[in-house]
Amino acid sequence: MVRLKKSDGKLLIQAPSHGSYLAYIRTLIGDLARQVGFPEDEVAKIEMAVDEACSNVVEHAYADPKDGIAAEKAWQWKQGDPKIRLDVRSEGNRLVIEINDHGQRFDFTAYRPNKMEEGIRQMQTGGYGMAIMREFMDEVQYSSSDAAGNTLRLVKYLKKS
Amino acid sequence: MKDFRIERDARGDVQVIRLTGSLDMYSFPRLETQINTLFQENYYAVLLDCRDLDYIGSAGLGALIGFAKQAREKGGDVKLLNVPERIFKIIELLGFTKVLQVHNTEASALASFAKG
Repeated sequence: MVRLKKSDGKLLIQAPSHGSYLAYIRTLIGDLARQVGFPEDEVAKIEMAVDEACSNVVEHAYADPKDGIAAEKAWQWKQGDPKIRLDVRSEGNRLVIEINDHGQRFDFTAYRPNKMEEGIRQMQTGGYGMAIMREFMDEVQYSSSDAAGNTLRLVKYLKKS
Repeated sequence: MKDFRIERDARGDVQVIRLTGSLDMYSFPRLETQINTLFQENYYAVLLDCRDLDYIGSAGLGALIGFAKQAREKGGDVKLLNVPERIFKIIELLGFTKVLQVHNTEASALASFAKG
């Protein structure tokens, strides 16, 4: 079940971590981005970056754990429904999107995404998500703690035309 | 928000797949199943009509170049038709149009298959 809280320039979404909710999340994010003044080309980029981030949560964060520590934590989501939480807000001239999960931690600092151009040239079928987020958003940051879970923070600045 | 749908048609030796809705990490396995069926039937000339597609994510794009690569190894290709402008801008910006052929008319797409 999706829980949704909307107010002026703000949006809180809590959805099950399942691919069937991604289209709904994209629609909500796109509507808010338009509402705060992003042009359609930028809305499309924001939607895609958020979709890539949420897809990673569904596909990786709550995937079957590969190591002992993660396996120990796994019960936390296997006992209940794994969730994605999005906190989206307009702050002055920027849109801040925080995507939170309580799944497996991602080694953000060590991760080096494939060079997209090279991957495409070699016709690789995957590994583009993080590169797309970095291409389409102005800031991409990741934090993780036992209490707060994992949070990916995406920021997009509204440029004056 | 349209439900993801796949409809199959044929123009001579070219299989035309019309896609509706969003091609994302949730829906792309359904397209994968359809394309694999075509390949098993020895159809390697595939045209994806995207006029009713409203979103494509990296999982969908990755799948498309994977299909194109497999088809080319058999002398065919997987090409795109009627890609909405909003989607075209994104895939062009990311560089996927360097490896995926995109056509604006069915006639030009079919002619390109005929040329080989």
